[in-house]
Amino acid sequence: MDHAHDDSHPHVNYFGVFIALCICTAISVAFDLIEISPILLVGLVLAIALAKALFVMTYFMHLKFEGRWKFVVLAPTAVLAVGLMIALAPDMAMHYYTMDTPQSKMVVVTHGGDGHHSEEGDEGHHAEEEHASPSSSH
Amino acid sequence: MSHEHHPPALKMGLPIPNAKLGMWLFLGTEIMFFTAFIGSYIVLYFGSVDANGRSAWPTDTHVTHINILAGGLNTFILIVSSYFVVVAHEAMTLKDFVKARKFLWMTFALACVFLGIKSYEYYGKIHYDILPGHIPETAEQSVHKFQNNLSDTLDRKLNDLIPGDAPLHVKQLEVPTALQDAEGERLIQLKAYSALHSEFLKIREAISADKLSMEQAKVKLKQLQENDTYGHIVSGLRVYDPIVYGNLFSSTYFLMTGFHAIHVIVGMLLFGAALAVGTSLDEKWTDWVENSGLYWHFVDLVWIFLFPLLYIIPGNIGQ
Repeated sequence: MDHAHDDSHPHVNYFGVFIALCICTAISVAFDLIEISPILLVGLVLAIALAKALFVMTYFMHLKFEGRWKFVVLAPTAVLAVGLMIALAPDMAMHYYTMDTPQSKMVVVTHGGDGHHSEEGDEGHHAEEEHASPSSSH
Repeated sequence: MSHEHHPPALKMGLPIPNAKLGMWLFLGTEIMFFTAFIGSYIVLYFGSVDANGRSAWPTDTHVTHINILAGGLNTFILIVSSYFVVVAHEAMTLKDFVKARKFLWMTFALACVFLGIKSYEYYGKIHYDILPGHIPETAEQSVHKFQNNLSDTLDRKLNDLIPGDAPLHVKQLEVPTALQDAEGERLIQLKAYSALHSEFLKIREAISADKLSMEQAKVKLKQLQENDTYGHIVSGLRVYDPIVYGNLFSSTYFLMTGFHAIHVIVGMLLFGAALAVGTSLDEKWTDWVENSGLYWHFVDLVWIFLFPLLYIIPGNIGQ
């Protein structure tokens, strides 16, 4: 089946591939609309994305009909891309912020009034500032 | 010996045109380029936690103004355009250049539609000021943003009323004199500015004394907007609700979709070059169309992953 040296690619039912891609997209959107467990949703939606990617690469990008050079050219980048995700995996489980950031402390959207004075709290300069700048903003 | 043919030497390279090899190598680097963005996005997503240690990434589509249907439509458009490119390339190999041009034009048009929908989405973000560095993440920041916006509005009004290059604080000192000299509409406008400015000074003082909560700021703004004298000046202002981790969210959103949009534009240039030769499109352009097509499919591939990661999944695994 390998026609690597043949300039004209074997006939592919491109329209059929296109319809398959459309169906996959419709299913992805449908998952957004129906009630489904989040973990299942993530798995299914990413599986569909992977299937679509494989459809595009195999048929539209003709990788199915290319010679073995495709492995030589794509293996390094595939290894590095997958390696990067694996290398990042521990970070995904870790929290790079400490839990006392203003964002993480804010549970209810109300004015905190945590005793912190704003930067322009110097009353002595305040009156002067009003003259100097009609609407200075910090 | 030097006149001899060396057929084996010719076969040492890969059995594909150099341009195609170049394109595939380039796409190899592109895979890593986008993998790095997507990887960082996932790390930031799960690392941005609330007090309980759970991800507090903004996921509510009413807050982030992520439009899943627009994203889905754009996915569909890219898939159709990918199909059209394949048909165009097939027509090129069959030397049906009229058909090839037709489908290249349609691809080009769909790329424009994609960017149009993307611009519509970006417009929504800009309208609600969901831009990196612009988003208040706490109630205190919301109040300060309100103060800054009111201050900017006043500055613009002052520049309208007293044109010239003088600094704003100098112009402010000229307002009482201008009020004495003015008449008619200008007098009305100057009075409105002055009244609003004194309100602003009170608001700023309250904020700096930590005595204006976000809810109070909303009430205050409503009062300002309902005022007959200066309400029209502040009609466009709002007190933005805080979005926890909104700045990180918008940074990653604009980085990924922005770089993708740049790739779409580059693809349009590639197709545009083939279309620019008009009816002179011939078999010499076959490799060009094939390589542009490979690039375009890659652009489609990236979107195939961005769509679930940015649109569908966050909207569904959020709180």
